[in-house]
Amino acid sequence: MTLHGATREHGATREDVIETSGLTKRYRRVTALSDCAVSVPDGRISALVGPNGAGKTTLLRLLAGLAAPTAGRAVVLGGPPRQDPAYLAEIGFLAQEVPLYRRLTAQDHIGIGAHLNPRWDAESVRARLSGLRIPLDRAVGTLSGGQRAQVALALTLAKRPRVLLLDEPLAALDPLARRNFLATLTEAAAGGDLTIVLSSHLIADIERVCDHLILLSRSRVQVCGDVETVLAEHRILVGPRKDTTAIGQTHAIVREDTTARQTTLLVKANGPVIDPAWAVEDANLEEIVLGYMSQDDPAYGAGPETARLSAVGGDR
Amino acid sequence: MTWVIWRQYRLSAAVAGAILAAFAILMLITGLKIAAEWHSALVTCAKDRTCGNLSQSLYLGGGPMRAVTALTLLVPLLFGMFWGSPAVARERETGTVQFAWMQSVTRRRWLSVKVGWLLLASAVFGGAVAGIVTWWYSPVNALKPDQFSPGNFDIQGIVPIGYAVFAVALGIAAGTLIGRSLPALAVTCGVFLAIRMAFTYVVRVHYMPAVTTIYSVTQNLNGKGAYWPLGQGIVLPNGQLTSTLSVGPGYIIGQGAIPAPCAQDSTSISSTLTCMAHLGYHSFATYQPGYRFWPFQFIETGIFVGLAAVLIAVTFFIVARRDA
Repeated sequence: MTLHGATREHGATREDVIETSGLTKRYRRVTALSDCAVSVPDGRISALVGPNGAGKTTLLRLLAGLAAPTAGRAVVLGGPPRQDPAYLAEIGFLAQEVPLYRRLTAQDHIGIGAHLNPRWDAESVRARLSGLRIPLDRAVGTLSGGQRAQVALALTLAKRPRVLLLDEPLAALDPLARRNFLATLTEAAAGGDLTIVLSSHLIADIERVCDHLILLSRSRVQVCGDVETVLAEHRILVGPRKDTTAIGQTHAIVREDTTARQTTLLVKANGPVIDPAWAVEDANLEEIVLGYMSQDDPAYGAGPETARLSAVGGDR
Repeated sequence: MTWVIWRQYRLSAAVAGAILAAFAILMLITGLKIAAEWHSALVTCAKDRTCGNLSQSLYLGGGPMRAVTALTLLVPLLFGMFWGSPAVARERETGTVQFAWMQSVTRRRWLSVKVGWLLLASAVFGGAVAGIVTWWYSPVNALKPDQFSPGNFDIQGIVPIGYAVFAVALGIAAGTLIGRSLPALAVTCGVFLAIRMAFTYVVRVHYMPAVTTIYSVTQNLNGKGAYWPLGQGIVLPNGQLTSTLSVGPGYIIGQGAIPAPCAQDSTSISSTLTCMAHLGYHSFATYQPGYRFWPFQFIETGIFVGLAAVLIAVTFFIVARRDA
């Protein structure tokens, strides 16, 4: 009985803050997101990666409740994203174009947030912005793109949300600002009760702070899981040019690069690879991400030494 | 939320307030002048016992000021174009809805407060302009009651409030539907003008059935006050009505239609008219009586406020459903 209780409790702490199933979004003719099933456990900093147009923004907007799904459902903090002040208070969302009222000052925005949110940490915004020497009393339209992004980030954090959804928050920042921002994120996450999903193309940055990965490609989820697990699952196999059918039967080949002499495979390993013909290496995050992303780019690697592309979907 | 709206609109409210104040001062100065003119004319005519002909000898509110009051026809349209159309469209265009809608406030509440203040502001500003114009016109109306005719009716009383509320609602709905402020502004302008013209020149006259009076050809219609003339003509001895000919003391319109016996004896207009009266001809006039001015004002205001309510309902429906 004790054991059973402990298990239940363990299960409760690992509760998924974000869970989607069959989540689909279609705009007139384009399918932006298709049959998306992801889950992000409590307290994770999840990286949402994928090529442009893979559906990252769509997924974040669906989770924020800014867009409604065509099919499927999303569950965030125990319920669907909805028009309810109590729910909205828990969600922080920052759109890629960091929309702010250009004619209003940062101070005005702090005031707006204070009037519209039950929890509002105005002091943190002021401290953060004055630390970055961003003036509070100038119209935000006159600030630089990077400064505007900082203002918007600070405002999003001031809401003290439990779920933070950030669409390419790093894109507009210089390397130092990026480092500071990521430090702020990890700090906020360490404070507890905060789950973050951030989309980004900067794998090096992601590697430093994220402990969870969602990989979208061709409007579908390719990978979703803790970074540790993802790293453990994937292997790079290097061997002489030869038939890969045998490997493909046991493991899922994500990507295959063939040159005249050798074949390099990225596989999602199903158990240890025992074929002595292949040298087995650990894959790093960048190799895994690029491996999946290049699947839908026929131009990638297609030189005179043609690379055969294989879709992992067919192997599963 | 009100604080937020104020932050966003305080500049434009200040501009509108300044323009209104300038307009009020201009109207006050010229209005007092007109009122003084009117009173001194009354005193003079009372002495000379010529007050009956005052409207022929005196012209009040001449010069550019009439044009200025006529321009207030466009005031509701300005509210619709500059407060209404950008209200939602501008926030969509710049993406700030994504900021506003991710605060702990539902879209419904965001929209209610925003729309509520904009409608209230337009009603107050529109009402103030209309009030000033109505006051300015009071001596002019006393001298020559004409406030019921199209154009004058539209800038006095309470209808301008209805137009202002409608214009802003139209702008908001168009902006929400189209999602971009410039096209929304153009649509607001076009639709507003079309609907206003349709009401002024086609719909308004049907609010109540017009009155037709038959009177002697040798007299003028005694419509009392600011009646709205719609048509006049002659009642033939057999009871038929015709508008090809209309007559009154001092004028005959449609000379060719004068009955033959009287046409020959046309030494003077009055003799022709006496001749027609003897043959059993009468004059008729169709009009909306002056006492219907206020009922018409209320009906038209009600219709425009009702249209505004429909447009606002559509806006709420779209905002609740459409993605940000």
